[in-house]
Amino acid sequence: MRTFLLKRLPSGLLVLALASFLVFLILRLIPGDPATSLAGPDASPAAVEAIRAQLGLDQPLFGQYLGWLGRLLSGDLGPSYAIGGQVADLIGNGLGATAQLALGALLLVVLIALPLAVAGATTRSRPLAAVIQAVTTAVLAVPPFVTGVLLVLVLAVSLRLLPAGGHESLLAAPDLALQYLAMPALCLALPSAAVLARYLKDGIERALAEDYVRTATALGVSRRRIVWRHALPNALPSAVTVLGLQIGHLIAGAVLVERIFAWPGLGQLIEQGVARRDYPVVQDLLLLVVAVYVAVQLLTDLAYAWLDPRIRWE
Amino acid sequence: MTALIRPPAPSRRALLRAGLAGAGLLTLAACRSAVDEVANTSATAESSDTPRKGGVLSVATGVDFTPSLLFAQSANTLVQRLVFNTLTRYDDRLRPQPELATAWEVAPDGTGVTLKLREDVLFHSGRRFTADDVVFAVKNLQNPARSAQLRSTAAAVTDFRKNGDFELTLLFAHPVSNLFDLFEFMIVPDSDSVEDAVAGTRLIGTGPFTFTDRKPGSSLTFTRNDRYWNPGRPYLDGVEIRIVPQAESLLSSLRTGQTHLSYNVRGKDVATLRSDPQFRIKQYDTGAGAYYIGVNVTAEHVGDKRVRQAIAWAVDRERFVQQALGGYGSVSSVPWPKSSPAFTEAGAGHYRHDPEKARALLKEAGLDRITLPFAHSNDPGATATAQILQYDLQQVGIDTVLQPTDSPTMQKQLISQSMPALWTLSHGFAQLHPATLAVSAYPFNEARNSSHFTSPAYTDVVQRAWNRGDSDSPEAKALYQQITDVLLDEEFVIDLAIAGLVEVAGRKVQGATLNKFGYLNLDDARLTA
Repeated sequence: MRTFLLKRLPSGLLVLALASFLVFLILRLIPGDPATSLAGPDASPAAVEAIRAQLGLDQPLFGQYLGWLGRLLSGDLGPSYAIGGQVADLIGNGLGATAQLALGALLLVVLIALPLAVAGATTRSRPLAAVIQAVTTAVLAVPPFVTGVLLVLVLAVSLRLLPAGGHESLLAAPDLALQYLAMPALCLALPSAAVLARYLKDGIERALAEDYVRTATALGVSRRRIVWRHALPNALPSAVTVLGLQIGHLIAGAVLVERIFAWPGLGQLIEQGVARRDYPVVQDLLLLVVAVYVAVQLLTDLAYAWLDPRIRWE
Repeated sequence: MTALIRPPAPSRRALLRAGLAGAGLLTLAACRSAVDEVANTSATAESSDTPRKGGVLSVATGVDFTPSLLFAQSANTLVQRLVFNTLTRYDDRLRPQPELATAWEVAPDGTGVTLKLREDVLFHSGRRFTADDVVFAVKNLQNPARSAQLRSTAAAVTDFRKNGDFELTLLFAHPVSNLFDLFEFMIVPDSDSVEDAVAGTRLIGTGPFTFTDRKPGSSLTFTRNDRYWNPGRPYLDGVEIRIVPQAESLLSSLRTGQTHLSYNVRGKDVATLRSDPQFRIKQYDTGAGAYYIGVNVTAEHVGDKRVRQAIAWAVDRERFVQQALGGYGSVSSVPWPKSSPAFTEAGAGHYRHDPEKARALLKEAGLDRITLPFAHSNDPGATATAQILQYDLQQVGIDTVLQPTDSPTMQKQLISQSMPALWTLSHGFAQLHPATLAVSAYPFNEARNSSHFTSPAYTDVVQRAWNRGDSDSPEAKALYQQITDVLLDEEFVIDLAIAGLVEVAGRKVQGATLNKFGYLNLDDARLTA
């Protein structure tokens, strides 16, 4: 496994280095700058220039880039320009909330996709198969901002079952936290669950057409055992790859869902950072997202190798 | 005789499943409901109209607190008057009332003011408030990095003379007519922690609530200041400001009772709440509430004031108010709301919807059909506003190319005077003494504005209106009329409608008010059951 990791780490680090450069550059290319955001709508040019100098934005770009990398490597993320507070604290708080949301959504993705896929692949009822097909298509087609608004209208405004938005700490009040989590996690999970269900269903169907399944059936092994013990494990490796890709989508989708449900995660933080041109926050966050993505892909490769004995670590 | 068939004994797996399901149901039953929890925070308040302490008021806002703009009027001014106090506050007729200053005397020549200060005021840190804190507050606003719109008025203070800890004279370089606008605007911060305040980590003032916690992008919480100088106030135990960026979600939070009060509900959404008995709706003439079309007078075609006047005649302001503002606003050709001493019906109604007149003016300027770039903020509300205006202009032969622009970019263009020919935004500062608008609000600033408009006549009349000790004498009013005349004639800022902040409050909420800068005052606010 060590060799496996050593082979993949350099490419991961290269991706991070390239991403850091691109993130830094793209932020400087978009119009507007932090000084004007900080100075406010009625500021004089002199006030804007004073703030630019104070933030070091009047320095050459390459120097600013190296300064940022140096601070990153020394573990000092520095202060936020506009949002206020230290970037490390902001990211720490947001990361907790987004991790809670992403993990909740991930759990729901699996819980929704697995039964749908198994039912879709094994049912002999045409109406049921059609319903499953229609549900996965519809869920995939409707964007999360529509699903989110509908969920709020039904579950919060009409039925008053769940809060319309907000967040509660999982450690402080787990019962309330789960209720706050339910709608955003579901909203985030539904499209990914539909994608996973389709992939998994195809995988199970392919596995069920294999010779060993016919042999097992001839030997009198029950249908349930064949599906759960033989077909499903064989369909899992490709589904895990899809799930790994979906984690990226979940993180990206969190930006929108967090806005709808006023969830104080990294998505909201990125949005605020971009809207106010808070360079340190946006740079560090985007790099963190890339790092998470790289790590997830690495873990996916590891899981793939673990699930499929034909693939060796080396 | 038929033998009874004995049902099969449940398997261990079935028993385990049933046990787990039962445990799950019991856990669910034992859970608190998050919806009820929210309702309970306000249920601790009184159950009648008599003012009694208790409850946590939840305020919904679409915009997060920007610490660096703490000393400026910005999109979010909810925090200022919760944590801090001002020296005086205006009543409904722009008459100053005591707050941290209990009495004042303006020098006969208008070049100084002597303030008597409260002696029983403590900062949240426990330190006593004195005249030194007023000196610090004025100097703080003079600092360009604070971006305070009333910096020019603060900068007119050239000297301070203390007479003990609780009496102070401010001396000015020249008389200023908007002195009490400054006192309404200027919050008094703790000098020891002001840098923490602009970094958003620690807010220490003398106000009714102490700052407890901030979760950027999520909420700010405040608890009752038990040592507040105003006896028996505040009634509330605490305040929570919830940041809900999505307009629909903000509305849902109000409808479900998760939040009690908001000043950020869109006009069209307010219209849907009007008939709902759960809510009370109140309109203020404060905030950045005047909608306008800005004109860069150095751009092609619009350098001719007849073209600018044609634009002013082309806009159907009635339709604008109905469609863009949901009916919450009043048509106006001038920046002044009705409460302003500069307001006149003739000025407000000067430009009506008259496409024929607009076409005639264009023709007079030698133009038939022109195309102009038209910038607007890229949020959905502003985009709809721009499209409404685009249609009106098209009808008279002015085609526009819409340029959706995000807020930081637009701000940069405004400050660097690089706006396109036309843009639409909103402005504030007209709800105060008229001189404040022309020396503090960037669109109208006589010295430097986004329109590149300069005029010796405008500068002269603005300076004369500002550099005087009185603000409501017949002479002062004559000067305000002259400012109005210049604005209506030159039309470098084409005002469309006045729409101040709209308060949407649940029936439980009583006593919340705003000052002239939109600072939320909850001294007398209370929740009823």
